[in-house]
Amino acid sequence: MIKLIGAILLVSACGYAGWHVSRSYARRPVELRQFMTALQMLETEITYAATPLPDALSGIAERVDARVSSFFAHAAKELQTTRGTSARQAWSAALDRYRTGSTLDRGDLGILNSLGHNLGISDRDDQAKHLRLTLEQLKMAQARAEETASKNVKLWNYVGLLGGLIIVLALY
Amino acid sequence: MNGVVQVKPGTHSRGWDEVLPVLPANLEKMIARLPDHILARLEEIRLRRDRPLMLGAGGQDFFLRRDGQPDSIPESAYITSGDDMEKVIQNISGSSVYALEEELRNGYITLPGGHRVGLTGRAVLENGQVKTLKYLSGLNIRIGREIKGSAAALLPRLLDQPAANIHHTVIFSPPRCGKTTLLRDLVRLASSGVPQLNYPGRTVGLVDERSEIAGCYRGVPQMDVGVRTDVLDGCPKAQGMMMLLRSMSPDIIVTDEIGKMEDIAALEEVFNAGVRIIVTIHASSMRELTNRPALKYLLQLNMIQRFVLLGRSRGVGTVEKILYGNEVMPRR
Repeated sequence: MIKLIGAILLVSACGYAGWHVSRSYARRPVELRQFMTALQMLETEITYAATPLPDALSGIAERVDARVSSFFAHAAKELQTTRGTSARQAWSAALDRYRTGSTLDRGDLGILNSLGHNLGISDRDDQAKHLRLTLEQLKMAQARAEETASKNVKLWNYVGLLGGLIIVLALY
Repeated sequence: MNGVVQVKPGTHSRGWDEVLPVLPANLEKMIARLPDHILARLEEIRLRRDRPLMLGAGGQDFFLRRDGQPDSIPESAYITSGDDMEKVIQNISGSSVYALEEELRNGYITLPGGHRVGLTGRAVLENGQVKTLKYLSGLNIRIGREIKGSAAALLPRLLDQPAANIHHTVIFSPPRCGKTTLLRDLVRLASSGVPQLNYPGRTVGLVDERSEIAGCYRGVPQMDVGVRTDVLDGCPKAQGMMMLLRSMSPDIIVTDEIGKMEDIAALEEVFNAGVRIIVTIHASSMRELTNRPALKYLLQLNMIQRFVLLGRSRGVGTVEKILYGNEVMPRR
């Protein structure tokens, strides 16, 4: 009996581990898509309304999904509360905080970080160019992420479950 | 210390403490260390990239040393760095230079509290028009002063008692003599009324093309311009006067620094509608005024009943002379 319970625990633990890995593969394209939506909003705010960054960022935070929202809210807060913070500093501080618990890889974060270097320091046309470039890069990253996701999601689900079963069989 | 700057103590409202936060921390500390009587009269902070930091107070300018002492020679003055300039621009714009395109085109920005920052740099042209400025190299932070009661002594001379209204008035002076400050207080009194003078207050339409009078920040006046005042902020004067005339039924229309022919044409319409005007003009004498064709035409209309000349013989905003309409007859 105890053996059976142990076996079930082992299989479900391994299954969970596999699912966890597969989920991070599945979530990366979603996160990238959320960022793309948010940056499109930012482009509209900047080019059409010329809304100052603190307002634009906090406005976006209210309209996007929870995780990405926390990033924008944090960047906005950083700009509003700390005097003399540049947009670049606020952006990278928010990105640092966002990094933990995110499924984005270094390349993705690099794309976002380099946007921060140019944010708010030039006229509208120039801002639009930088935002569009970032969106292009994110789009490519997202396509790659979809591809890896489609390969790995199923794989890791099976690896987890089957791995558990193999261990159980070996021990039985 | 050589070249001590002498500035008489005065009873002005604060204003510098609203402006200092846009400066980088090191500059803010240096300026805040100035003696109170200078701070109270601080008018300008001039930042020029890689050149000495200058301040203006009580009509004089002086350099600021690193230790926060005023000095009249530039050698020991603090040199404004490019980094300082960038930080100021960042603070003014909320880290969003793109939001200032219109302001950069006009060459100035209005801060909350109604203070003005003038800008110079390299102009970027598009179809022969200034599109924006880049490489900003000069900033002049002008502290807007609200001196309530500065027009109180003048008002009785401008009142048209039988009509319970204000005479058509022109205020003129050379630059930096307190025209705008006086006009602001005059607007406040004309709009809110003065019971002691039996003047109930009238609806005032204010065209504030350069956001200097009401100091609007996002459309809301930051200065007290009276309870019956409607402000058209950032609007070209001639167009603004017509808009107010048509839509807001003002009793008095006020605007700053007229001089173009189109302004005078708009004023003519205002006269015809029976609405009173108060305007300011850059000119240091009556003769200078009549030498400008547009203004000469205005005088020939023979509508203006009060000419007020400001100077600084007894401090900024001294009323030097008040001329009545019938004393001023331009040669045709």
